[in-house]
Parts: sequence; structure tokens; C-alpha cells
Amino acid sequence: RLMSNRRFGGPGSSPPTCRSKCGKCQPCKPVHVPIQPGLSIPLEYYPEAWRCKCGNKLFMP
Amino acid sequence: TFLGFVSPINNEGKALMAIKASFSNVANMLLDWDNVHNNDFCSWRGVICDNVSFSVVSLNLSNLNLGGEISPALGDLRNLQSIDLQGNKLGGQIPDEIGNCASLAYVDLSTNFLFGDIPFSISKLKQLEFLNLKSNQLTGPIPATLTQIPNLKTLDLARNQLTGEIPRLLYWNEVLQYLGLRGNMLTGTLSPDMCQLTDLWYFDVRGNNLTGNIPESIGNCTSFEILDVSYNQITGVIPYNIGFLQVATLSLQGNRLTGRIPEVIGLMQALAVLDLSDNELIGPIPPILGNLSFTGKLYLHGNKLTGPIPPNLGNMSRLSYLQLNDNELVGTIPPELGKLEQLFELNLANNHLVGPIPSNISSCAALNQFNVHGNFLNGSIPLGFRNLGSLTYLDLSGNNFSGSIPSTLGDLEHLLTLNLSRNQLNGPLPAEFGNLRSIQIIDVSFNFLAGVIPSELGLLQTINSLILNNNKIHGKIPDQLTNCFSLVNLNVSFNNLSGIIPTMKNFSHFTPASFFGNPFLCGNWVGSICGPSK
Repeated sequence: RLMSNRRFGGPGSSPPTCRSKCGKCQPCKPVHVPIQPGLSIPLEYYPEAWRCKCGNKLFMP
Repeated sequence: TFLGFVSPINNEGKALMAIKASFSNVANMLLDWDNVHNNDFCSWRGVICDNVSFSVVSLNLSNLNLGGEISPALGDLRNLQSIDLQGNKLGGQIPDEIGNCASLAYVDLSTNFLFGDIPFSISKLKQLEFLNLKSNQLTGPIPATLTQIPNLKTLDLARNQLTGEIPRLLYWNEVLQYLGLRGNMLTGTLSPDMCQLTDLWYFDVRGNNLTGNIPESIGNCTSFEILDVSYNQITGVIPYNIGFLQVATLSLQGNRLTGRIPEVIGLMQALAVLDLSDNELIGPIPPILGNLSFTGKLYLHGNKLTGPIPPNLGNMSRLSYLQLNDNELVGTIPPELGKLEQLFELNLANNHLVGPIPSNISSCAALNQFNVHGNFLNGSIPLGFRNLGSLTYLDLSGNNFSGSIPSTLGDLEHLLTLNLSRNQLNGPLPAEFGNLRSIQIIDVSFNFLAGVIPSELGLLQTINSLILNNNKIHGKIPDQLTNCFSLVNLNVSFNNLSGIIPTMKNFSHFTPASFFGNPFLCGNWVGSICGPSK
């Protein structure tokens, strides 16, 4: 997948680069977002994932 | 025979009326569902029909406070593609007849009071892509037949009372993207087959009763962005292959994992959250974890970790939460932690740390909570704390701090809790504490504080607990303290206070226990210098 850092076949990972992931919107940067479907404000500790952000829009990496 | 024949449209209208009839609390919410006054059911609230066939394709009645049950008549809406009843108060069981709605692609019945088993008939819904039954009271097993749904992308069964094992067949699904099973009573082990979910990004089994080890082959789950197996009873070591995961969240907390933290975790730069807390991990914190320069949350608390805090952790420039408390860490607090400009919470409590708090800590300008309770730290309270203007929680208790309390702590206007108890602090209680306009708890008990209780403490309108016992404070209890109308917990016992205890306002509620051990303090209890005689 996108975060893959398998060029050398070893373990490890890196954040998404978000290169051209926000359509025409610039700048497009990787951010952490809490994942809690259906709720905009997390009610408790929830996992986080990487998304690409431009302005206040989020895109899949 | 054509007896009883009705057009398909009327049939669906009747089904909708039957659905309404089995709901309760409909009076206001479904006012326009009325076949007498308006038989165009396609115009009814929450009903969407196909433009050509006028058949119901979508039913959205979410968050309408509906009670009652879901009528079996739902099965008569043969062209239904989407049903959303989430956030109501629906009880009863999910009707088997839901399996007759062969076009259903989207089903959200979450956050209701539905009970009973998940009907097997759901497995007949070959178009189903989204199934959310989260936050109900469903019991019984996860039907293995759910694997017969070829296009299921989201399966969220979290927060029910489901039992039994996670059906292994469920893992052999190449389209499933989201599997939410947290907060049930599932048993069994994590199968190596879970990595057959080649399109899955969200795997969450938090808070079940799963046992066994983390499979050696876990590294094959390369599509996972989130792996949350926390709060189960998983045993064994964290396998080396975990380093092949590409996850942003690795939540293994609240299990019974043993062995060391694998060094390979330090190569997982995509980690946003690493939570290994509340396990039985031993050995040192690998310095290579400092390479995780994109990680925002690092939780290693509640283990049996030994050795020092690696100075390399100061390189984790995005870190906002660092919790290393309740371990067996030794050595000093590395000054490099001062480089963590985004640090929000630093908890090093209940370890065996020695030495002073490095002055560099005052560079952590975002610090909101700082806790070093229960170590062997010494030296004075750094003057630099005045720079930590966002602090709401400051706990230095149970150490060997000495010297006087810096008056500049009074500048921390957002402080809610200040605990300096059980140290060797001397000098007076700063009058500037009267500026702590948000404070709720001040505890300076079990020190060597002298001087008087500053009358400025009477300015504290939010204080709930003022704990000054076991010091050497003298003088009168200032009458101004009666202005602290939120104060419910006062302890000035075992000092050298004298004079008459105020009796006005909330002081009438304090018992003698608040004042014991001040031989020259005059109060209304047996044995007091002015109290009732025996």
C-alpha cells in the first residue's frame, strides 16, 4: 500500500507523502485524524489514521 | 385469484403504515405518515422512492427518538436499498424478514436497544456493503454466514453482547475494509487468517475476552491502518514481525503481554499512536523509539520497564502525549525532553527517578499536564514553571523536593490541580496563590512549610480542596477563607495554628478533623483550648 517502505524488503514504515492526493488543492499535507465513524467529536480514546489535508478538506492518502 | 390484490405501491404504503404502527413515540415525528390524508407515501418524512417505479428505495428515520420495534413488514419493501434507523430507542429483535429486502446495500440500526441474535437472514443480502449494528444489546454469536455477503465493506458490531469466537471465515474476505467488534464478549484467539483481509484498513477488537498470542505472521496484515486489540487477555511476546505493519495506530494496551519492547518498533515511522500500556513488559525502553518523529502519542505506562528514560525520546518532535508512569524506570529526567514543543501531557509518576527536574522542561510550552508523583526527585521546584502558562495539572508529590515554593506558580492561571504534598518544602505558602483563579485543588500537606495562611487565598472562588495539614504553618486562620464558597474539603490539621476558627458560611460544615493537632487553635470540640470541657 501507499505507506509501504518495502524498497529494501525490511521492516518499517513511513507516513504518506500525500503527493497529488488532494486533487488540485495545495498544499497537501499528511495529518493524524481520529477515526470514530458517525461522531465528529470523539467521546473517548479512539484510534488515529493518516489522511491528507488541504485547507479544511481531508483526502485518502 | 385476484382477491385481495393491491397495486405494488399500495402494498408498500401498507408496509410503511405497519412499520409506523409498531413504532412508538410517532405522534410528532411521523405526523405525515398518514394514508388517509396523504397517500403519496413517497412524500412522507424519511421516505425516498425511485423516480420511475415509485417504489421505496430509502428509509431514513435516524435520531427521531422512535421507540417500539422494527416491524416484519419491512420485508415487504422489496426494492429498499438503504435503511437508517440509528439513534432511536428501538427494542425488540431485528426481524428475519429484513433478509427479503434483496436490494439492501446500506443498513444502519446502530445506537438502539435491539436485542436477540443477529438474524442469519442478513446473509441473504447479496448487495449489502454497509452493516452497522453498533451499540445495541445483541447477543449470541457472529453468524459465520455473514461471509456469504460478497460485497460487504463495513461490518460494525461494536458495543453489543456478542459471544463465541470471531468466525475464521470472516477473515477470508478480500473486500472488507472495516471490522469493528470492540466492546463485546468475544472469546478465542487472534487467527493468523486475519491477514487474509487484504483490503481491510480498520481492525478493532478492543475490549473483548480474546486470549492466546499475537500471531507471528501479524506483519502480513499490510493493508491495516489501525490495529486495536487492546483490553483483551492476550499473552506472549510482541512478535518481531509486527515491524512489517504499516499501521498508524498500534493499540496493544490492557493485555498480558510479556517480554521486551521489540527494537523494530522504532522503524515504524507511520505510527501516530503507539499504546503498549498496562501489560507486563520488561526490559528497557529502546532508545530507537526516539526515531518515531511522526508519533503523537506514546503510552508505555503500567508495565515493568526498567533502565533510564532514553534522551532520544526528545527527538519525537510531534509528541503530544508521553506516559511512562507506573514502571520501574531509573536515572534522571533527560533535559532533551525540553525539545518536545508540542508535548501536552508528561506523566513520569511512580518510577524510581532521581535528580532534579531539568530546567529545560520549561521549554515545553504546550504542556498541560505534568506529573512526577512518587519518585525520588530532589532539588528545588524550577522557577521556569511560570513559563508553562497552559498547565492545568501539576503534581510533584511524593518526592524529595526542597527549598521554598516559587511565588511565580501563582502565575499559572489555568491550573486546576496543584499537588506539592509529601516533599521537604519549606518557607511560606506564597500569597500569589491567590491569583490561581481556576484552581480546584491545592495540596501542600506533609512538608515543612512555615509562615501564615495568606489571606489572599480568600480570593479563590473555584477551590474545592485546600489541604495544608502536617506542616509548620502558624498564625490565625484568615476570615477571608470563608469567602471561598466552593470549598468543601479543608484540612489544616497538625500545624501550629492559633486563634479562633471562623464559624461563618461554609466553615460551619467543617468537622474538627479539619483542625486537629493545632494545640493553640480554638474550636468547638472536646479538648480544644476553648471547647466544651469534659
